[in-house]
Amino acid sequence: MAQGFLALILHAHLPYVRHPEYDHSLEEKWFFEAITECYIPLLMVFEKLRDEGVDFRLTFSLSPTLLAMMEDPLLQERYRKYLQGLQNLARLEEERTAGDPSFAPLARLYREHFDAAAAYLERYGGRLVPAFRRLAEENYLELITTASTHAYLPLLLLQPESIYAQLANAVQYHASLFGEPPRGLWLPECAYEHGLDEIISELGLQYIITATHGVLYATPRPKYGVYSPILTRSGVAVFGRDPETSKQVWSAQEGYPGDYDYREFYRDIAYDLPLEYIGPYLHPPGLRSDTGIKYYRITCEGLEYKEPYQPHRAREKAALHAGNFMFNRQQQVSYLASLMGRPPIVISPYDAELFGHWWFEGPQWLDFLFRKIAFDQADVKLITPGEYLDLGYPLQLAEPNPSSWGDKGYHEVWLNGSNDWLYRHLHKAAADMIRLATAHPRAEGLLERALRQAARELMLAQSSDWPFIMTSGTTVEYARSRAVSHLVRFRLLQRQIDEGNIDAEWLKRLEEADNIFPQLDYRLYQDFESSVPAGIAGVV
Amino acid sequence: MADPQTYYLNRGESLPERYGEDRLVILPRDPHNIFAYWEISPQTREALARRASEEGCPEFALCLRVYKYGWGEGEDAEGFFDLEVSGDINNWYIAVPHADRCYRVELGCKAPGRSFQSLLRSNLIRTPRDSLSDLIDEQWQLPDWKAQKLFRRISLYHLSSAEFFRRRPEAKRK
Repeated sequence: MAQGFLALILHAHLPYVRHPEYDHSLEEKWFFEAITECYIPLLMVFEKLRDEGVDFRLTFSLSPTLLAMMEDPLLQERYRKYLQGLQNLARLEEERTAGDPSFAPLARLYREHFDAAAAYLERYGGRLVPAFRRLAEENYLELITTASTHAYLPLLLLQPESIYAQLANAVQYHASLFGEPPRGLWLPECAYEHGLDEIISELGLQYIITATHGVLYATPRPKYGVYSPILTRSGVAVFGRDPETSKQVWSAQEGYPGDYDYREFYRDIAYDLPLEYIGPYLHPPGLRSDTGIKYYRITCEGLEYKEPYQPHRAREKAALHAGNFMFNRQQQVSYLASLMGRPPIVISPYDAELFGHWWFEGPQWLDFLFRKIAFDQADVKLITPGEYLDLGYPLQLAEPNPSSWGDKGYHEVWLNGSNDWLYRHLHKAAADMIRLATAHPRAEGLLERALRQAARELMLAQSSDWPFIMTSGTTVEYARSRAVSHLVRFRLLQRQIDEGNIDAEWLKRLEEADNIFPQLDYRLYQDFESSVPAGIAGVV
Repeated sequence: MADPQTYYLNRGESLPERYGEDRLVILPRDPHNIFAYWEISPQTREALARRASEEGCPEFALCLRVYKYGWGEGEDAEGFFDLEVSGDINNWYIAVPHADRCYRVELGCKAPGRSFQSLLRSNLIRTPRDSLSDLIDEQWQLPDWKAQKLFRRISLYHLSSAEFFRRRPEAKRK
């Protein structure tokens, strides 16, 4: 009998970055890189474990924007071409490095990696959704959803209807792809605010995951800290993130991914080789940006001196780190179990894109970890939050604390001098959307299409990614232009609907450009009437 | 410069600077800071200027009055403090003394020798805790997933959020 449980949760999300108007967009490349480097390698690890009879459990959150991109025929076709380009480049690299004892094996490694990705995708007809669905049906993965466009919910709670629409559409979209509604909800950025639980509960979602202090600072004080979920009055189970396991993986100083034997992310052949040679393979062509082919290991502090990557050394490290992680969990759950008198659950959520993209060896580490847990010990059992709830432990009633897993632990990353201007426009648009949906309960034809498109534009404007990028200072102009464009389009639609003067040709172009969620039901935005649920802040 | 498609789809427009409405909204940023944004409509501005000149005190100052409550709506404010704001700004970060309290803000004007005149009133928010709760009452319960049935109903009958929440009063009485 295991002394305690470990719930590993990977959250996969990218904003909706589909740009048919450009042949090559840097933002679409975020998505392509994540497929090649994270999602396919992870799925391959999971399938191999299954085929070899290794029992494992993992919770996987797939954001609706990411799923919509995975299901989009244009992006599927573009990805196929992108991957072909990488396969060709890797072949060229094999020729270029032939005979070099350090680099030739690495060129081959990448070529094999890209070929395997292409073969994998071929097997599923270019779609990743069926691969996830199958692993879920076989009970290895518990698939959960998040807000439709990964909206930062606490700052939008002024119009609870817009939260309801973000979540209800996500649940419906998830159910349409995976055959059943999700049991759990990944809160975007683990961000919680008083009152969210009531909407979550109404939608039949059984659990959420918060930052450590979302549970630890709950009221009343939780007896078992973050090692047992709490239950809100509205009936949502709340799992709090374990600080120890997040530090072991995330910490810049002590975290595994910074090990000197691991592959260096910041040294890509895109920057090292002459433009005449590599130019045609870049995306967009001629512009130096990562190819994903990286030949060096981290080696030491700083970016100056780097030695060639040695896959066998990295592999040994991944095994060592997996063993260390498991050993620490054994100690942790034994200790906690002795204090608690019931098996503790350790909640370890990570961004899926860490695994394989930033931390090249991440999928390998997971592979080792799952094998070790299955065969080398009996103290820790892998579990999903849903399975844990099925065990039927009574849960302590408590109200979670508003929080997020962002810098400083609350809402500042998404609300500061760089992005606070956004919220007056988002709130105004949400209020207008509610008004329109309430005024037109049974729209048909062109009017229905305009209302649906207005809902799409609002949701796309609400992505947490835009204010996040404004804070992080990376592709600020892009984030700003996306947020502004969707809000402007929403306002144009709203005006046309109010004036009863919808421009059909323009609407058609808009539907093609911002084509997310074909089945989106604009009526999800109808007014909650005068009865705003208690605890939910509303404009007075 | 926007590309031609963005220009066409946005019809060359950008976001308006104001919506011509009266509103004051506050958002919690962390246990000790709240963000306020507001807009005063031209009508309210005119009315204000008219009243000020009628009453012979053109030197009124705009001011945010921050009310602190305990934990709920129905209570009287425990106290308030004022922050003067200049007439040409439309947002402010307000440092608040206590975590885990409710706050509401009014935007109004103050003139020497006169009482505060409120123009706009915000929503009510509650700031997050920044420490462990002192409450240690324990109540334990088995989860009840009755709500799962509700989801099936929306997917079957396409209930809207309004129809959904109409049922809330019964749910509350239980």
